[in-house]
Amino acid sequence: MTDQPDLLAQFSNALATRVEAAKNAVVAIRLAHGRHLTGMAWRSDIVVASEQSLPRKDEFELVAAGGSVLTAKIAGRDPSTNIAILRPATPMASPSITAGEARTGAVALAIGADGAGGASARLGLVNLVGPEWHSSRGGLIDRRIVLDVNVGRREEGGPVFDAGGGCLGMSTFGPRGQVIAIPTATIERVVPQLDKDGRIARGWLGVALQAVAVPDALRESADQSSGLMVMSVVEGGPAAQAGILAGDIILSVDGTPAHRFRKIARHFGADSIGRKVDLRLIRSGTVMTVQTTIAERHAA
Amino acid sequence: MSEPASKSVVAARLRVVVHAVDALRRTALGRVVAEAGHIVVDAQDAADVVLADGDGPRGETRPIVSLGGADQDLPGVLSRHADPNQIDAAIRAVAAGLLVRLPEAMDSGFGVMRETDGHALLTPRELEVLAALAEGMTNKAIARRLNISLHTVKFHVESVFRKLGARTRTEAVAKASERRRYETMTL
Repeated sequence: MTDQPDLLAQFSNALATRVEAAKNAVVAIRLAHGRHLTGMAWRSDIVVASEQSLPRKDEFELVAAGGSVLTAKIAGRDPSTNIAILRPATPMASPSITAGEARTGAVALAIGADGAGGASARLGLVNLVGPEWHSSRGGLIDRRIVLDVNVGRREEGGPVFDAGGGCLGMSTFGPRGQVIAIPTATIERVVPQLDKDGRIARGWLGVALQAVAVPDALRESADQSSGLMVMSVVEGGPAAQAGILAGDIILSVDGTPAHRFRKIARHFGADSIGRKVDLRLIRSGTVMTVQTTIAERHAA
Repeated sequence: MSEPASKSVVAARLRVVVHAVDALRRTALGRVVAEAGHIVVDAQDAADVVLADGDGPRGETRPIVSLGGADQDLPGVLSRHADPNQIDAAIRAVAAGLLVRLPEAMDSGFGVMRETDGHALLTPRELEVLAALAEGMTNKAIARRLNISLHTVKFHVESVFRKLGARTRTEAVAKASERRRYETMTL
Protein backbone atom coordinates (compact mmCIF):
# COMPACT_ATOMS: atom_id res chain seq x y z
CA MET A 1 0.00 0.00 0.00
CA THR A 2 1.29 3.45 -0.79
CA ASP A 3 -1.10 5.35 1.46
CA GLN A 4 1.87 6.51 3.50
CA PRO A 5 3.59 9.17 1.36
CA ASP A 6 7.33 8.78 0.96
CA LEU A 7 8.70 11.94 2.54
CA LEU A 8 12.01 11.83 0.73
CA ALA A 9 10.31 11.51 -2.65
CA GLN A 10 7.99 14.38 -1.74
CA PHE A 11 10.91 16.54 -0.69
CA SER A 12 12.77 15.72 -3.87
CA ASN A 13 9.74 16.37 -6.08
CA ALA A 14 9.07 19.65 -4.32
CA LEU A 15 12.65 20.76 -4.97
CA ALA A 16 12.56 19.75 -8.62
CA THR A 17 9.27 21.62 -9.06
CA ARG A 18 10.79 24.73 -7.46
CA VAL A 19 13.83 24.60 -9.72
CA GLU A 20 11.64 24.16 -12.79
CA ALA A 21 9.64 27.21 -11.74
CA ALA A 22 12.83 29.19 -11.10
CA LYS A 23 14.08 28.64 -14.64
CA ASN A 24 12.88 32.03 -15.78
CA ALA A 25 14.47 33.72 -12.77
CA VAL A 26 17.95 33.28 -14.28
CA VAL A 27 19.81 34.17 -17.46
CA ALA A 28 23.30 33.15 -18.56
CA ILE A 29 25.65 36.07 -19.20
CA ARG A 30 28.12 34.93 -21.84
CA LEU A 31 31.82 35.58 -21.20
CA ALA A 32 34.91 34.81 -23.25
CA HIS A 33 36.26 31.27 -23.71
CA GLY A 34 32.81 29.65 -23.67
CA ARG A 35 32.26 30.52 -20.04
CA HIS A 36 29.29 32.25 -18.51
CA LEU A 37 28.02 33.86 -15.35
CA THR A 38 24.50 33.81 -13.95
CA GLY A 39 22.26 36.85 -13.81
CA MET A 40 18.96 37.28 -11.98
CA ALA A 41 15.95 38.24 -14.08
CA TRP A 42 15.01 40.98 -11.65
CA ARG A 43 12.44 42.76 -13.80
CA SER A 44 11.45 42.23 -17.41
CA ASP A 45 13.93 44.98 -18.34
CA ILE A 46 16.62 44.48 -15.68
CA VAL A 47 19.08 41.66 -15.03
CA VAL A 48 21.05 41.78 -11.77
CA ALA A 49 24.56 40.32 -11.69
CA SER A 50 27.62 40.03 -9.45
CA GLU A 51 29.68 43.15 -10.16
CA GLN A 52 33.02 41.67 -9.09
CA SER A 53 32.87 38.90 -11.68
CA LEU A 54 31.45 40.86 -14.60
CA PRO A 55 34.19 41.89 -17.06
CA ARG A 56 34.47 45.61 -17.83
CA LYS A 57 32.55 45.59 -21.07
CA ASP A 58 29.56 47.64 -22.18
CA GLU A 59 27.58 44.89 -23.82
CA PHE A 60 26.96 41.20 -23.20
CA GLU A 61 25.03 38.36 -24.78
CA LEU A 62 22.41 36.77 -22.57
CA VAL A 63 20.84 33.35 -22.87
CA ALA A 64 17.33 33.65 -21.46
CA ALA A 65 15.07 30.86 -20.21
CA GLY A 66 14.25 28.55 -23.10
CA GLY A 67 17.51 29.34 -24.90
CA SER A 68 16.78 32.59 -26.74
CA VAL A 69 19.85 34.78 -27.10
CA LEU A 70 19.59 38.53 -26.64
CA THR A 71 22.02 41.37 -26.14
CA ALA A 72 22.09 43.51 -23.04
CA LYS A 73 23.92 46.70 -22.16
CA ILE A 74 25.44 47.44 -18.79
CA ALA A 75 23.10 49.97 -17.17
CA GLY A 76 25.02 50.47 -13.95
CA ARG A 77 27.58 48.97 -11.61
CA ASP A 78 28.21 49.44 -7.92
CA PRO A 79 31.37 47.70 -6.67
CA SER A 80 30.60 48.76 -3.09
CA THR A 81 27.56 46.47 -2.90
CA ASN A 82 28.71 44.08 -5.67
CA ILE A 83 25.61 44.79 -7.75
CA ALA A 84 25.59 45.38 -11.50
CA ILE A 85 22.52 45.74 -13.69
CA LEU A 86 22.13 44.98 -17.38
CA ARG A 87 19.33 46.13 -19.64
CA PRO A 88 18.28 43.57 -22.28
CA ALA A 89 17.54 44.97 -25.74
CA THR A 90 14.09 43.35 -25.63
CA PRO A 91 12.03 42.71 -22.48
CA MET A 92 12.08 39.16 -21.17
CA ALA A 93 10.01 36.95 -18.91
CA SER A 94 10.70 37.49 -15.24
CA PRO A 95 9.07 36.01 -12.18
CA SER A 96 7.77 38.19 -9.38
CA ILE A 97 10.39 38.18 -6.66
CA THR A 98 9.45 38.44 -3.01
CA ALA A 99 12.03 38.86 -0.30
CA GLY A 100 12.61 35.91 2.00
CA GLU A 101 13.74 36.03 5.60
CA ALA A 102 17.16 34.47 6.19
CA ARG A 103 17.27 32.15 9.21
CA THR A 104 20.32 30.24 10.31
CA GLY A 105 19.82 26.55 9.61
CA ALA A 106 17.01 27.05 7.09
CA VAL A 107 17.19 25.31 3.73
CA ALA A 108 18.63 27.41 0.90
CA LEU A 109 18.16 26.61 -2.78
CA ALA A 110 20.63 28.36 -5.10
CA ILE A 111 19.75 28.58 -8.80
CA GLY A 112 22.22 29.09 -11.60
CA ALA A 113 21.95 29.32 -15.38
CA ASP A 114 23.18 26.31 -17.32
CA GLY A 115 24.11 28.41 -20.34
CA ALA A 116 21.57 26.81 -22.67
CA GLY A 117 18.38 28.33 -21.30
CA GLY A 118 17.93 25.97 -18.37
CA ALA A 119 18.63 26.12 -14.67
CA SER A 120 21.17 24.42 -12.45
CA ALA A 121 20.47 23.90 -8.76
CA ARG A 122 22.35 23.68 -5.46
CA LEU A 123 20.89 22.80 -2.11
CA GLY A 124 22.26 23.68 1.31
CA LEU A 125 21.62 25.64 4.45
CA VAL A 126 21.83 29.20 5.61
CA ASN A 127 25.09 28.84 7.51
CA LEU A 128 24.78 32.02 9.53
CA VAL A 129 22.92 35.29 9.60
CA GLY A 130 24.27 38.51 11.05
CA PRO A 131 23.52 42.21 11.18
CA GLU A 132 24.27 44.76 8.45
CA TRP A 133 27.92 45.13 7.43
CA HIS A 134 30.21 47.35 5.39
CA SER A 135 32.09 45.87 2.47
CA SER A 136 35.78 46.53 1.91
CA ARG A 137 34.66 48.92 -0.82
CA GLY A 138 32.58 50.93 1.60
CA GLY A 139 29.07 49.76 0.68
CA LEU A 140 26.38 48.94 3.22
CA ILE A 141 24.96 45.41 2.99
CA ASP A 142 21.68 45.02 4.86
CA ARG A 143 22.39 41.62 6.42
CA ARG A 144 25.20 39.15 6.65
CA ILE A 145 24.00 35.91 4.99
CA VAL A 146 26.59 33.15 4.76
CA LEU A 147 25.50 30.02 2.92
CA ASP A 148 26.52 26.41 3.26
CA VAL A 149 25.87 25.90 -0.44
CA ASN A 150 28.47 24.84 -2.95
CA VAL A 151 27.92 27.40 -5.72
CA GLY A 152 29.96 27.02 -8.93
CA ARG A 153 31.70 29.89 -10.74
CA ARG A 154 29.09 29.87 -13.50
CA GLU A 155 26.28 30.00 -10.98
CA GLU A 156 27.48 33.11 -9.19
CA GLY A 157 24.89 35.89 -9.41
CA GLY A 158 21.85 33.63 -9.33
CA PRO A 159 19.00 33.87 -6.82
CA VAL A 160 18.97 31.95 -3.54
CA PHE A 161 15.51 30.89 -2.35
CA ASP A 162 14.23 29.80 1.02
CA ALA A 163 11.80 26.91 1.54
CA GLY A 164 8.83 29.23 1.16
CA GLY A 165 10.00 30.44 -2.24
CA GLY A 166 11.14 33.81 -0.88
CA CYS A 167 14.36 35.20 -2.36
CA LEU A 168 17.14 35.54 0.21
CA GLY A 169 19.35 37.37 -2.27
CA MET A 170 21.95 36.94 -4.98
CA SER A 171 24.71 34.36 -4.55
CA THR A 172 28.29 35.59 -4.70
CA PHE A 173 31.76 34.74 -3.41
CA GLY A 174 33.36 36.26 -0.35
CA PRO A 175 37.04 35.83 0.54
CA ARG A 176 38.48 32.30 0.22
CA GLY A 177 35.55 31.08 -1.81
CA GLN A 178 32.99 31.55 0.94
CA VAL A 179 29.50 31.71 -0.55
CA ILE A 180 27.38 34.60 0.64
CA ALA A 181 24.14 36.22 -0.47
CA ILE A 182 23.69 39.90 -1.22
CA PRO A 183 20.33 40.35 0.50
CA THR A 184 17.21 41.08 -1.53
CA ALA A 185 16.72 44.24 0.55
CA THR A 186 20.12 45.55 -0.63
CA ILE A 187 19.29 44.80 -4.26
CA GLU A 188 15.88 46.50 -3.87
CA ARG A 189 17.62 49.57 -2.47
CA VAL A 190 20.46 49.78 -4.98
CA VAL A 191 18.79 48.80 -8.28
CA PRO A 192 16.51 51.88 -8.58
CA GLN A 193 19.51 54.19 -8.06
CA LEU A 194 21.63 52.28 -10.58
CA ASP A 195 18.71 52.27 -13.01
CA LYS A 196 18.35 56.05 -12.70
CA ASP A 197 22.00 57.18 -12.64
CA GLY A 198 24.08 54.19 -13.73
CA ARG A 199 26.04 54.40 -10.51
CA ILE A 200 25.66 55.03 -6.81
CA ALA A 201 26.52 58.62 -6.07
CA ARG A 202 28.89 59.04 -3.14
CA GLY A 203 30.50 61.93 -1.40
CA TRP A 204 34.18 62.58 -1.98
CA LEU A 205 36.93 64.52 -0.23
CA GLY A 206 39.91 63.28 -2.22
CA VAL A 207 41.91 61.62 0.56
CA ALA A 208 43.21 58.15 1.43
CA LEU A 209 42.75 57.36 5.11
CA GLN A 210 44.19 54.84 7.54
CA ALA A 211 43.12 54.39 11.16
CA VAL A 212 45.88 55.30 13.63
CA ALA A 213 46.26 55.54 17.38
CA VAL A 214 46.36 59.12 18.64
CA PRO A 215 49.77 59.71 20.31
CA ASP A 216 49.56 59.57 24.12
CA ALA A 217 50.56 63.21 24.51
CA LEU A 218 47.55 64.32 22.44
CA ARG A 219 44.87 62.02 23.79
CA GLU A 220 43.60 64.51 26.30
CA SER A 221 43.24 67.44 23.92
CA ALA A 222 41.88 65.16 21.18
CA ASP A 223 39.53 63.47 23.65
CA GLN A 224 39.77 60.19 21.75
CA SER A 225 42.28 57.39 21.33
CA SER A 226 42.11 56.85 17.57
CA GLY A 227 41.43 58.72 14.36
CA LEU A 228 41.93 58.53 10.60
CA MET A 229 45.29 59.68 9.31
CA VAL A 230 45.40 61.29 5.89
CA MET A 231 47.86 59.16 3.89
CA SER A 232 47.54 61.11 0.65
CA VAL A 233 45.55 64.02 -0.78
CA VAL A 234 44.23 64.14 -4.34
CA GLU A 235 45.41 67.30 -6.06
CA GLY A 236 42.57 69.74 -6.66
CA GLY A 237 40.10 67.68 -4.58
CA PRO A 238 37.91 69.18 -1.84
CA ALA A 239 40.37 68.22 0.91
CA ALA A 240 43.29 69.80 -0.97
CA GLN A 241 41.28 72.97 -1.53
CA ALA A 242 40.53 73.15 2.18
CA GLY A 243 44.26 72.89 2.92
CA ILE A 244 44.18 69.37 4.39
CA LEU A 245 47.63 67.82 4.39
CA ALA A 246 49.02 64.29 4.39
CA GLY A 247 49.74 63.44 8.02
CA ASP A 248 46.69 65.24 9.43
CA ILE A 249 44.68 62.97 11.73
CA ILE A 250 40.92 63.40 11.32
CA LEU A 251 39.19 63.09 14.70
CA SER A 252 35.60 63.77 13.81
CA VAL A 253 33.27 64.66 10.95
CA ASP A 254 30.48 67.06 11.92
CA GLY A 255 30.84 65.87 15.49
CA THR A 256 30.81 62.14 14.72
CA PRO A 257 34.03 60.60 16.08
CA ALA A 258 36.18 59.18 13.27
CA HIS A 259 37.53 56.21 15.22
CA ARG A 260 37.00 54.06 12.19
CA PHE A 261 36.05 54.61 8.59
CA ARG A 262 32.67 52.94 8.87
CA LYS A 263 31.67 55.30 11.68
CA ILE A 264 31.79 58.26 9.32
CA ALA A 265 30.74 56.50 6.09
CA ARG A 266 27.12 57.59 6.49
CA HIS A 267 28.18 61.23 6.28
CA PHE A 268 29.23 60.64 2.67
CA GLY A 269 26.15 59.17 1.04
CA ALA A 270 24.49 60.50 -2.12
CA ASP A 271 22.78 63.29 -0.15
CA SER A 272 26.11 64.62 1.15
CA ILE A 273 27.29 66.01 -2.19
CA GLY A 274 27.64 69.79 -2.05
CA ARG A 275 27.25 69.89 1.73
CA LYS A 276 29.78 71.64 3.99
CA VAL A 277 31.34 69.53 6.74
CA ASP A 278 33.50 70.42 9.72
CA LEU A 279 36.52 68.18 10.12
CA ARG A 280 38.18 68.24 13.51
CA LEU A 281 41.78 67.18 13.11
CA ILE A 282 45.24 67.08 14.63
CA ARG A 283 48.01 68.84 12.75
CA SER A 284 51.53 69.18 14.18
CA GLY A 285 50.32 68.49 17.68
CA THR A 286 47.42 70.96 17.59
CA VAL A 287 43.70 70.20 17.40
CA MET A 288 41.93 72.39 14.85
CA THR A 289 38.76 72.45 12.75
CA VAL A 290 38.73 72.75 8.98
CA GLN A 291 35.64 73.18 6.86
CA THR A 292 35.36 71.65 3.42
CA THR A 293 32.63 71.00 0.85
CA ILE A 294 31.91 67.41 -0.15
CA ALA A 295 32.16 66.78 -3.88
CA GLU A 296 30.99 63.80 -5.88
CA ARG A 297 33.17 60.73 -6.24
CA HIS A 298 33.84 59.68 -9.79
CA ALA A 299 34.31 56.08 -10.80
CA ALA A 300 37.78 54.76 -10.04
CA MET B 1 55.94 25.71 -41.67
CA SER B 2 55.18 25.91 -37.97
CA GLU B 3 55.74 22.66 -36.19
CA PRO B 4 53.00 21.39 -33.90
CA ALA B 5 53.42 22.32 -30.25
CA SER B 6 55.68 19.85 -28.52
CA LYS B 7 54.09 17.55 -25.96
CA SER B 8 56.57 18.42 -23.28
CA VAL B 9 56.51 22.19 -23.21
CA VAL B 10 58.15 22.36 -19.82
CA ALA B 11 61.59 21.76 -21.21
CA ALA B 12 61.03 23.34 -24.59
CA ARG B 13 61.93 26.72 -26.00
CA LEU B 14 58.64 28.44 -26.56
CA ARG B 15 57.73 31.01 -29.17
CA VAL B 16 56.45 34.07 -27.34
CA VAL B 17 54.84 37.25 -28.65
CA VAL B 18 55.53 40.24 -26.40
CA HIS B 19 52.70 42.76 -26.44
CA ALA B 20 53.31 46.13 -24.79
CA VAL B 21 52.28 49.60 -25.90
CA ASP B 22 55.35 51.16 -24.32
CA ALA B 23 58.49 50.40 -26.36
CA LEU B 24 60.82 50.35 -23.35
CA ARG B 25 58.59 47.92 -21.54
CA ARG B 26 58.40 45.76 -24.67
CA THR B 27 62.19 45.62 -24.88
CA ALA B 28 62.52 44.80 -21.19
CA LEU B 29 59.94 42.03 -21.34
CA GLY B 30 61.53 40.67 -24.52
CA ARG B 31 64.82 40.40 -22.69
CA VAL B 32 63.18 38.55 -19.78
CA VAL B 33 61.63 36.09 -22.23
CA ALA B 34 64.88 35.56 -24.14
CA GLU B 35 66.95 35.13 -20.99
CA ALA B 36 64.50 32.43 -19.85
CA GLY B 37 65.47 30.52 -23.00
CA HIS B 38 62.46 31.31 -25.16
CA ILE B 39 62.22 32.85 -28.60
CA VAL B 40 60.59 36.23 -29.04
CA VAL B 41 58.54 36.27 -32.25
CA ASP B 42 56.47 38.92 -34.03
CA ALA B 43 52.74 39.20 -33.40
CA GLN B 44 51.84 37.78 -36.83
CA ASP B 45 54.17 34.75 -36.46
CA ALA B 46 53.18 31.37 -35.10
CA ALA B 47 53.52 31.51 -31.33
CA ASP B 48 52.81 29.37 -28.28
CA VAL B 49 52.05 32.17 -25.83
CA VAL B 50 51.39 35.89 -25.83
CA LEU B 51 52.96 37.84 -22.96
CA ALA B 52 50.94 41.04 -22.58
CA ASP B 53 51.65 44.12 -20.52
CA GLY B 54 48.14 44.80 -19.18
CA ASP B 55 45.25 43.27 -21.08
CA GLY B 56 46.06 41.35 -24.25
CA PRO B 57 45.34 42.59 -27.76
CA ARG B 58 41.68 42.34 -28.76
CA GLY B 59 40.72 39.21 -30.63
CA GLU B 60 43.89 37.36 -29.64
CA THR B 61 43.18 33.63 -29.73
CA ARG B 62 46.50 32.28 -28.47
CA PRO B 63 46.94 31.78 -24.71
CA ILE B 64 47.79 35.06 -22.97
CA VAL B 65 49.87 35.70 -19.87
CA SER B 66 48.76 39.14 -18.70
CA LEU B 67 50.87 41.35 -16.44
CA GLY B 68 48.52 43.44 -14.34
CA GLY B 69 45.56 43.27 -16.75
CA ALA B 70 41.98 43.63 -15.58
CA ASP B 71 40.65 40.57 -17.39
CA GLN B 72 40.70 37.79 -14.82
CA ASP B 73 39.49 35.26 -17.37
CA LEU B 74 42.79 35.01 -19.24
CA PRO B 75 44.80 31.79 -18.83
CA GLY B 76 47.66 33.59 -17.07
CA VAL B 77 47.21 36.56 -14.75
CA LEU B 78 50.28 37.95 -12.97
CA SER B 79 50.92 41.30 -11.32
CA ARG B 80 52.53 44.08 -13.33
CA HIS B 81 55.61 43.66 -11.16
CA ALA B 82 56.00 39.90 -11.69
CA ASP B 83 59.64 38.82 -11.53
CA PRO B 84 61.44 36.96 -14.36
CA ASN B 85 61.03 33.58 -12.64
CA GLN B 86 57.30 34.06 -12.33
CA ILE B 87 57.01 35.19 -15.97
CA ASP B 88 58.99 32.16 -17.19
CA ALA B 89 56.98 29.75 -15.03
CA ALA B 90 53.69 31.31 -16.17
CA ILE B 91 54.64 31.14 -19.87
CA ARG B 92 55.51 27.45 -19.56
CA ALA B 93 52.42 26.62 -17.51
CA VAL B 94 50.02 28.41 -19.85
CA ALA B 95 51.64 26.78 -22.90
CA ALA B 96 51.02 23.44 -21.19
CA GLY B 97 47.33 24.28 -20.88
CA LEU B 98 47.30 25.26 -17.22
CA LEU B 99 45.85 28.37 -15.59
CA VAL B 100 48.09 30.70 -13.60
CA ARG B 101 46.81 32.93 -10.80
CA LEU B 102 48.35 34.85 -7.92
CA PRO B 103 47.50 33.64 -4.42
CA GLU B 104 45.82 37.01 -3.70
CA ALA B 105 43.36 36.33 -6.52
CA MET B 106 42.09 33.34 -4.56
CA ASP B 107 41.75 35.57 -1.56
CA SER B 108 39.76 38.18 -3.45
CA GLY B 109 36.01 38.05 -3.24
CA PHE B 110 33.45 40.40 -1.87
CA GLY B 111 34.38 40.79 1.74
CA VAL B 112 33.88 42.78 4.86
CA MET B 113 35.78 45.99 5.53
CA ARG B 114 38.80 44.98 7.58
CA GLU B 115 39.56 47.13 10.54
CA THR B 116 42.29 46.65 13.12
CA ASP B 117 41.31 46.51 16.80
CA GLY B 118 41.95 49.72 18.68
CA HIS B 119 44.78 48.40 20.82
CA ALA B 120 46.71 47.26 17.73
CA LEU B 121 46.50 50.57 15.86
CA LEU B 122 49.88 52.14 15.16
CA THR B 123 50.72 55.73 16.07
CA PRO B 124 51.99 58.19 13.42
CA ARG B 125 55.49 57.87 14.94
CA GLU B 126 55.36 54.09 14.66
CA LEU B 127 54.37 54.43 11.00
CA GLU B 128 57.45 56.61 10.45
CA VAL B 129 59.62 53.99 12.13
CA LEU B 130 58.04 51.33 9.90
CA ALA B 131 58.75 53.36 6.77
CA ALA B 132 62.40 53.50 7.84
CA LEU B 133 62.42 49.74 8.56
CA ALA B 134 61.04 49.16 5.06
CA GLU B 135 64.07 51.01 3.68
CA GLY B 136 66.31 48.64 5.63
CA MET B 137 67.59 51.32 8.01
CA THR B 138 69.34 50.41 11.25
CA ASN B 139 68.06 51.63 14.60
CA LYS B 140 70.92 54.10 14.71
CA ALA B 141 70.03 55.51 11.29
CA ILE B 142 66.37 55.72 12.30
CA ALA B 143 67.31 57.63 15.45
CA ARG B 144 69.25 60.10 13.35
CA ARG B 145 66.49 60.53 10.78
CA LEU B 146 63.72 61.04 13.31
CA ASN B 147 65.95 62.99 15.68
CA ILE B 148 65.15 60.77 18.67
CA SER B 149 67.31 58.64 20.98
CA LEU B 150 68.36 55.10 20.14
CA HIS B 151 66.49 53.99 23.24
CA THR B 152 63.26 55.55 21.94
CA VAL B 153 63.71 53.90 18.54
CA LYS B 154 64.04 50.49 20.23
CA PHE B 155 60.92 51.24 22.24
CA HIS B 156 58.97 52.09 19.05
CA VAL B 157 60.27 49.03 17.17
CA GLU B 158 59.20 46.75 20.02
CA SER B 159 55.79 48.35 20.11
CA VAL B 160 55.43 47.92 16.32
CA PHE B 161 56.39 44.24 16.61
CA ARG B 162 53.88 43.69 19.39
CA LYS B 163 51.02 45.47 17.61
CA LEU B 164 51.63 43.69 14.32
CA GLY B 165 52.42 40.31 15.87
CA ALA B 166 55.77 40.26 14.06
CA ARG B 167 59.04 38.66 15.16
CA THR B 168 61.39 40.14 12.59
CA ARG B 169 61.77 43.46 10.81
CA THR B 170 60.91 41.87 7.48
CA GLU B 171 57.76 40.35 8.92
CA ALA B 172 56.75 43.68 10.45
CA VAL B 173 57.19 45.47 7.12
CA ALA B 174 55.21 42.77 5.28
CA LYS B 175 52.37 42.78 7.80
CA ALA B 176 52.18 46.56 7.84
CA SER B 177 52.02 46.73 4.07
CA GLU B 178 49.28 44.12 3.99
CA ARG B 179 47.35 46.07 6.59
CA ARG B 180 47.77 49.26 4.59
CA ARG B 181 46.62 47.52 1.43
CA TYR B 182 43.41 46.24 3.02
CA GLU B 183 42.63 49.03 5.41
CA THR B 184 43.37 52.22 3.53
CA MET B 185 40.06 53.72 2.50
CA THR B 186 39.62 56.41 -0.08
CA LEU B 187 37.11 59.09 0.62
